[in-house]
Amino acid sequence: MSQYDAIVVGSGAGGGIAAGLLAEAGKKVLLLERGRRMTFADDPRDHLRNQRFSRYGHNAGPDIEGNPRTHADGRTIRPHESGYQNNAAVLGSGTVVYAGQAWRFMPQDFRMASIYGVPESSSLADWSITYDDLAPYYERAEWEIGVCGDASVMSHLPPYAKPYPMPALPLPLKSNVYKQALDSLGWQQIRVPRLINSIEYQERPSCVYCQQCVGFACPVDAKNGTQNTMIPRALASGNCILLTEVMVANLITNDAGHVTGIRYLDENGNATTVNADVVVLSCGAVETARLLLNSRSKQEPDGIGNNSDQVGRHLQGHYYPGAIGLFPENMWDGIGPGASVATCEFNHDNDGIVGGGMLCDEDISMPIKFWSRDFPPDVPRWGKAAKDFMRENYRRTTDVKGPVQEIPHPDGRVQVNPRVRDKYGIPVAHFSGTTHPETVRIANFMHEKAKEWVLAAGAIKVWGDKPELYLSGGQHQAGTCRMGDDPQTSVVDKWCKVHGHDNLFVADSSPHVTNGGFNPVLTIMALAWRTTEHIIETW
Amino acid sequence: MLTEKHLLILEALVDCIIPPDEYPGGWEAGVGDYLQKQFENDLHDVLLMYQDGLLALDKEAIAVYGKAFVDLTSDEQVQLLTQIEQANVQTKWAIDASEFFKQVVQHCAEGFYSDPGNGGNKNGISWEMIGYEVTA
Repeated sequence: MSQYDAIVVGSGAGGGIAAGLLAEAGKKVLLLERGRRMTFADDPRDHLRNQRFSRYGHNAGPDIEGNPRTHADGRTIRPHESGYQNNAAVLGSGTVVYAGQAWRFMPQDFRMASIYGVPESSSLADWSITYDDLAPYYERAEWEIGVCGDASVMSHLPPYAKPYPMPALPLPLKSNVYKQALDSLGWQQIRVPRLINSIEYQERPSCVYCQQCVGFACPVDAKNGTQNTMIPRALASGNCILLTEVMVANLITNDAGHVTGIRYLDENGNATTVNADVVVLSCGAVETARLLLNSRSKQEPDGIGNNSDQVGRHLQGHYYPGAIGLFPENMWDGIGPGASVATCEFNHDNDGIVGGGMLCDEDISMPIKFWSRDFPPDVPRWGKAAKDFMRENYRRTTDVKGPVQEIPHPDGRVQVNPRVRDKYGIPVAHFSGTTHPETVRIANFMHEKAKEWVLAAGAIKVWGDKPELYLSGGQHQAGTCRMGDDPQTSVVDKWCKVHGHDNLFVADSSPHVTNGGFNPVLTIMALAWRTTEHIIETW
Repeated sequence: MLTEKHLLILEALVDCIIPPDEYPGGWEAGVGDYLQKQFENDLHDVLLMYQDGLLALDKEAIAVYGKAFVDLTSDEQVQLLTQIEQANVQTKWAIDASEFFKQVVQHCAEGFYSDPGNGGNKNGISWEMIGYEVTA
């Protein structure tokens, strides 16, 4: 049986950072990833099988067979099907294929309950930490993973101690139009910070402004994730062993209920038990909850960390209200990735609305995604009219949208289903509930604001889906191992340490009490940084 | 697999959904090749639906116009499909007629507008048509 100082389960935004920092601190680390390594050479840029448009599967996993989940409505769901709440399963996870929007949450986002009160039947709460606690770690992530942007215009935040290490990406034609519209509306206008090299940085080249960014690996390795920063640092230290295509089945505990290690399975079903002083879970909000619930001891018979029935609850993601506009003139100049201009005018201080969200313009749309999701409701989808619409309007249609800070509901949750097992024989994640209805109200408010922006930019026709009530965890899943001071109402403490344990930590989006009105990856990174530094300092 | 008869009906159907003009129609652009490839992969489970649906479409044409689907004028084909889309059918279909048509429309768009690596969109012709230029 092997003995490590630390085991990190999952190699995404959180796990990659935990492994890198622990290994550089001299700890002997085992990093485990269920997926394979993926580079641009392994990515066929299949427009029907990618993380942006997964009609028949994903380029970055998980495989559509052998990895089911179930829903309380009776469905067994495969990874590319609606309601699966997928996260990428490759080394680096979503950071290989994401758009890399690199937002800091706002100070208010950590104090939602104090500012707005708690909507009835919701589980809205404050974080146990503040923006100031996280700010130094946002900065570390911005500099060491690599973010481009313009800190001087981020007027919705306290002043940055240090600017971004790279200037913002150039503005495409359509973003210039949207920027002018923000000025004419008198709304705050800022540049979208992105985990992309706008200049050569950390010995990798600048972005080449291609048109297939989000959903795919980068052709020149200019997109910054843990796979090309912290994981290579971990391996270069000589202190990290990396295993890919292995699945952790459960945590191992001793007679006293103390976590002593993990048990993992390889592709052939061979089980291996590994011991460590510290275990860090970084599997994403669905899989971290699943792993805890699938790990039982005499002291915690309903799952490790789950004696208060909190593991898996408060699942949240992001509603993405927006508006699509048809413009009289060409809006295309081919400059990718596309999402460049944003406003935080409506993240807070909206009359009668709890919070709100950021809005920004969007990355270039794949043609089949455009046909599937961006058509006006009154245009036929077949025949001459459909073909004409595509030909005449693909370059004249653009959209703005943004993530709404969701109001969590305790019944929106992940459990495990012992009757359905994955290819390893492990009980799968089981979903039930929805977000809180207040989320839908906020999303409708933001939908109207998006329409206003698109019209101000000169669109001659505007459309977009009206938000409806559902369980949202497919985009930016979070919240299932809630951070809090009270073990009765939370799973981890302010250091993301599981209550009742001294050596079990979570480093992903699961501790997020609320998920911000922003893409959450930089917060996942910053929180993992803070947690890991604490582990090292208190070793 | 699809018979010669199935394929003739399918070709006419695909070209109603994505008709030729100054740019190729769906069939010439490779939607048929996309479908044939997919019938052995992701669309394996709907092959039976296609077999039934294509023959039912032909019977519907004969019942309404007294002619096979491929012998209808373009206008007649579009009118017939518009009725089928709304589930207004004169003959008894073994499958859900409007659902069949909806799925074929979806599959045609996938073949026509997705990347050429999927078997359709030969030489990126639909991307050229709409102005989706890829530089890297």
